[in-house]
Amino acid sequence: MPERVDRDGTPAYRFLGVEVTRREAAFLVLGVVFLFVIPDIASLSDSLQLSVIHQGLLFGFVAVGLNLLLRHTKLTSFGHAAFFGTGAYATAVLARYAGVQSVGLLLLGAIAAATVMAAIIGVLSLRHTGLYFALLTLAFGQLLYAIALGQSALGGSDGLPIRPGPANQPLLFGTAFSPDVYQVLTYYLTVVVILIGLFVMYRITQSPFRNALDAIGQERTRARFIGLPVRRYVWAAFVISGIYGGVAGGLYAVVRQYVRPEGTLFFLRSGDILFMAILGGFRTLVGPLIGGVVLVFLQDVGQDITQYYEFLTGVVLLILVYGFPRGIVGSLRSGGIVNARLSELRREPSVLSTWGRTAAQSIERKVTAALTSLRIILFGVD
Amino acid sequence: MAVTPTAALVQTLNGIQFGFILFMIASGLTVILGILDVLNLAHGELFSLGAYTAIGVFGFIIGIIGPPGDGVVGTAVFILAVLAAVLVTAAILLPVGTLFEAVFLRQIYDRDQVYQLVLTFTLLLILLDVKKFIWGDSSIRTDAVYSAINAIPTSELVGLNYPTYNVFVILVGSAVVAGLFWFFERTKTGRIIRATAIDREMATAIGVSTDRVFTLVFALGAFLAGFAGAMAVPPTSATLEMGTNPLVLSFVVIVIGGLGSLRGAFVGALLVGVIRSWMITLYPPGEIAAPFAIMALILLVKPEGLFGTWGETA
Repeated sequence: MPERVDRDGTPAYRFLGVEVTRREAAFLVLGVVFLFVIPDIASLSDSLQLSVIHQGLLFGFVAVGLNLLLRHTKLTSFGHAAFFGTGAYATAVLARYAGVQSVGLLLLGAIAAATVMAAIIGVLSLRHTGLYFALLTLAFGQLLYAIALGQSALGGSDGLPIRPGPANQPLLFGTAFSPDVYQVLTYYLTVVVILIGLFVMYRITQSPFRNALDAIGQERTRARFIGLPVRRYVWAAFVISGIYGGVAGGLYAVVRQYVRPEGTLFFLRSGDILFMAILGGFRTLVGPLIGGVVLVFLQDVGQDITQYYEFLTGVVLLILVYGFPRGIVGSLRSGGIVNARLSELRREPSVLSTWGRTAAQSIERKVTAALTSLRIILFGVD
Repeated sequence: MAVTPTAALVQTLNGIQFGFILFMIASGLTVILGILDVLNLAHGELFSLGAYTAIGVFGFIIGIIGPPGDGVVGTAVFILAVLAAVLVTAAILLPVGTLFEAVFLRQIYDRDQVYQLVLTFTLLLILLDVKKFIWGDSSIRTDAVYSAINAIPTSELVGLNYPTYNVFVILVGSAVVAGLFWFFERTKTGRIIRATAIDREMATAIGVSTDRVFTLVFALGAFLAGFAGAMAVPPTSATLEMGTNPLVLSFVVIVIGGLGSLRGAFVGALLVGVIRSWMITLYPPGEIAAPFAIMALILLVKPEGLFGTWGETA
């Protein structure tokens, strides 16, 4: 039962180790209810497709896992699609060659495969930090992509279907459902998995383990001096984050009933996953999930209006990097630069002309400086 | 399968040729990494932009001078024209690199590294669609340069049937390698760049403008990538996704050679090129995995790469 506690003067409730104020609790309940009614909203509206939201949630879930590394250990993994793909392909292989039919068993297989993969890649790449780490994870991810593309047992570029044995689709609770029902049921399964995953991640962020990771992220040498087993902790975080990818990959395979190398393992996917985390706000818990839904939704809409949707994504990212570096959730919670400017503008509209003048001046200054630099680079100093 | 000495020689030459192309890409990437501390994910796109641009420039220049004339003079003129076209292509890439560094990247050096990664990835996405917008979805190619240069006899003189264009790439590649080492060892600008790589603050203290060095280095990287693209495109065709593989292989090269090490990039590129090419005859499925296998081995044995960090020696 919820227990009342006091947090900095505001009353809060603690339940299963989750401590929330009344307002946060309201948001939480609202969010969960919203997740559960999405299939109903999607059935009413044409523009909103359940499969798009579903896919967004799955990729967002990978981003939640990635965020454990990004937020606390300051390690940027550019190869998280590797774990997503491992999970998806493990599911496909189990269904195709071992004839596993139950969704639960398939997901367990995905988790096991992703854990092993994360353990191996972690050992090889975690000796390094910073860009070297990003580069290594990307290289390993691309290696897996190449393997999936090259092995005929894995279907090559055609991919593999997930249709175990005589059944047309994996079985939920030992029963075969009609495709419509199957879609909705797997969606609810995803929501449940995501809620559990978020809960586990919340508990991790409340634990001493998180503090240790923070310390490692800030200053590795110092963390080692105070006795933290740095490499083992970072490796554990990497494996946990890989498991999130594997779960999402397994679910993706179960839902789509088809895996292809481009959709699951290609390095643009890894990029997408990283940007979901940043788009949603990588300093927050649920940010990456929201970022995932928003990015996948935007790409889906973009694909409908223009064939140049990569460009569109690029522009969104540019706006993000310069205007809202804290992401959607981060900017909503604490006003960023844009919020501050907006409120200033609301108070005093004439401030616009001052901004215009400063902008013009700074552009002029920069152009002059650029021309000087160009002259010096071309002709030297004198 | 028995491998004849001739076949082995041909595969080795192919590997060396690919290694030189790879070096031109990886050297820019590694120098940017060593000095700006930025992993330029768009480097492969700059390479493919170079390839696309080169097809246009080749067409234009061959349109002016026509097919190679008879005799040594005609051939020499044609080769010089091709080289000029390659240089023009690379020069077109210069402003792309300069603008990107000076306008976008410079604003966010003080932020978390992940934002710089995002920004170069943004450039990758944008360049991808810019190429699609200008040149369309389907691949494009030019045969004129490849067939004209292959018509010049070189390897036939020693009784080997090997495309002259590949020999041309090896020669030009060697010149680029020599030029780069000369630039970083002997010229003042090159030494300033290396000084900045060794100690950024100290370089600022003795009056080096790091802003300028950064722009210069990024522009140099774009130049080299464009050069590589122009050299690589005649035997094949330019496709939208041609940038990915060289980018990832350059990562492998950088890891093998050592972060930011030019010498390491050279050794790594040739190693990757030759081994990959041997694999094509010995064990085809291993072609993709072999470079990564070398990388994993080096990581386990010598995690800092064959040549360590760049700066002290080029």
